[in-house]
Amino acid sequence: MFQLNELQYDALRELFNLGVGRAARSLSLMVQDEVELSTPVVTLVKPADVVTTLLGSEFRQLSLVTIDFAGPFDAQAILLFPERNALAIISQMLDPDMSPEELSEFEQEAMCEIGNIILNACISALADEFGVEFQGGLPMHYFSDTDSLPLLDLEGDRIVLLLQIHLTMRQERIQGHLIFLLSVSSLSVLRECVDAYLTRVGLA
Amino acid sequence: MHREFSQQLLDHLQAGIILLDRQGRVLAWNAWMVRHSRLTLSEVAAKRLDEVFPDAQHTRFLDAIEQALRFRLSSMLAPGLNAAVLPLDHQPGDRRLVRRMQPLIYVTPMSEASCACLIQIQDMTAMVRRERRLRAQSTQLIATTYRDALTGVGNRRRFDHDLSLSFSDAQNKQCPLALLMIDIDDFKAYNDCLGHLKGDECLIQVATALREGLRQRGDSLSRYGGEEFALPLPEADRDLACTIAERLRLLVEGLGLPHPNSRVGKLVTVSIGVSAMVPEGEHSPSDLISQADQALYQAKDEGRNRCVYIGADLHVVPVCPHPLGPIAVPSSRR
Repeated sequence: MFQLNELQYDALRELFNLGVGRAARSLSLMVQDEVELSTPVVTLVKPADVVTTLLGSEFRQLSLVTIDFAGPFDAQAILLFPERNALAIISQMLDPDMSPEELSEFEQEAMCEIGNIILNACISALADEFGVEFQGGLPMHYFSDTDSLPLLDLEGDRIVLLLQIHLTMRQERIQGHLIFLLSVSSLSVLRECVDAYLTRVGLA
Repeated sequence: MHREFSQQLLDHLQAGIILLDRQGRVLAWNAWMVRHSRLTLSEVAAKRLDEVFPDAQHTRFLDAIEQALRFRLSSMLAPGLNAAVLPLDHQPGDRRLVRRMQPLIYVTPMSEASCACLIQIQDMTAMVRRERRLRAQSTQLIATTYRDALTGVGNRRRFDHDLSLSFSDAQNKQCPLALLMIDIDDFKAYNDCLGHLKGDECLIQVATALREGLRQRGDSLSRYGGEEFALPLPEADRDLACTIAERLRLLVEGLGLPHPNSRVGKLVTVSIGVSAMVPEGEHSPSDLISQADQALYQAKDEGRNRCVYIGADLHVVPVCPHPLGPIAVPSSRR
């Protein structure tokens, strides 16, 4: 199985925190209130293990925003929150007095945009620091239960870069995950990019 | 022919289309944009959108364009999060400018030599408005289903909902939660003697008096059943809960409603069972209810028109009337 060393993990954690930090600034401006985002944990797992790693919890219903990115390496990026957490985020963003039960499908657009902001910020941080260019598609949002998670259908040698994401807004802390689904060859390019970055900043 | 056809196609679309070059300057601006922005292509051609829409500075709209031009990333802007981000009219020709459009915007990078970015704009104003109206209606309906029709305080459903929320909150934060169960003394006798219409009036007056005694923070009083009211008190420990209970008891007595058939005295009075706990993992809201209930029975047994506290250790503490100050409870009995 493909691995990264500690230094490479550290670099990725730093770059993703840079990305979500930018996203937090955009979100703060939009809601005119402080939004904090961080990604404290980065791991590499097999798609099948994603389910056991993060979905063995009590949360069965998930909210997902996905964007496909193409560039030096291709990735399907997914921002994933347990559905209740997602609804909590949206009601905080749109109207804190609204209970999650009152939110309709209409608010899926808002979730879509929030995912868009966070995922684009991560990818643009990588693009900036790696000095490369990606092409990103439009975000898609859907709800899914853990059993029919699209990750499970994937055959073959895909690898998942799994990041925990913490979002804090108006004293409420909401946890979710960022998932980057990569082919082995894409992961190998990502590793080269990370190494080049580490060399450039004088750490390798 | 090809160019003309593309132009026709763009102009017939019922959505706004803007094309930008690599520097972010306007290449195309379809008929829909002209209608809704009151700006013609010749007025905007070769300008950047921050010049065309000075109000959009520092908005996500310009960020999204920057992301498309610089990073080749796509974005969508939902109306809920970016209300009226662009000065577009919902109804073309609406000179009073009363209604800015609520747009749904897609920004995507293009890989063509001259054209670097496509912006699509859809008018969601009607949908947003319909959504708002439906939400207002549903909020009202929800409020109705949670209200006791006679007294205007919460009903049993409200109470169950409030208590379960306060309970899990107290459990998470490990802070105290108190509950008062309030029962009108000898209410059956009141009804039997004066009739149900008077009984209803009495319930309304008692509920109004109880509401006046609530904390500023907006505690939610509910009618638990018949002549019984319940009041969860988040972040209230025993002493605070007892103080509030005593205040409520005095307020009801102070109404001075004559009760011709009471065993307590000549006026309508209430007995109050008080309970408080810092809920642990194994506790459930029903524990708190049963403690408060037990305390209420105790208050009835001891002669009514009084407050009694029972805690998790089932220690019974009578609450002495202390209209002028906090209630002194020996700390050894906590």
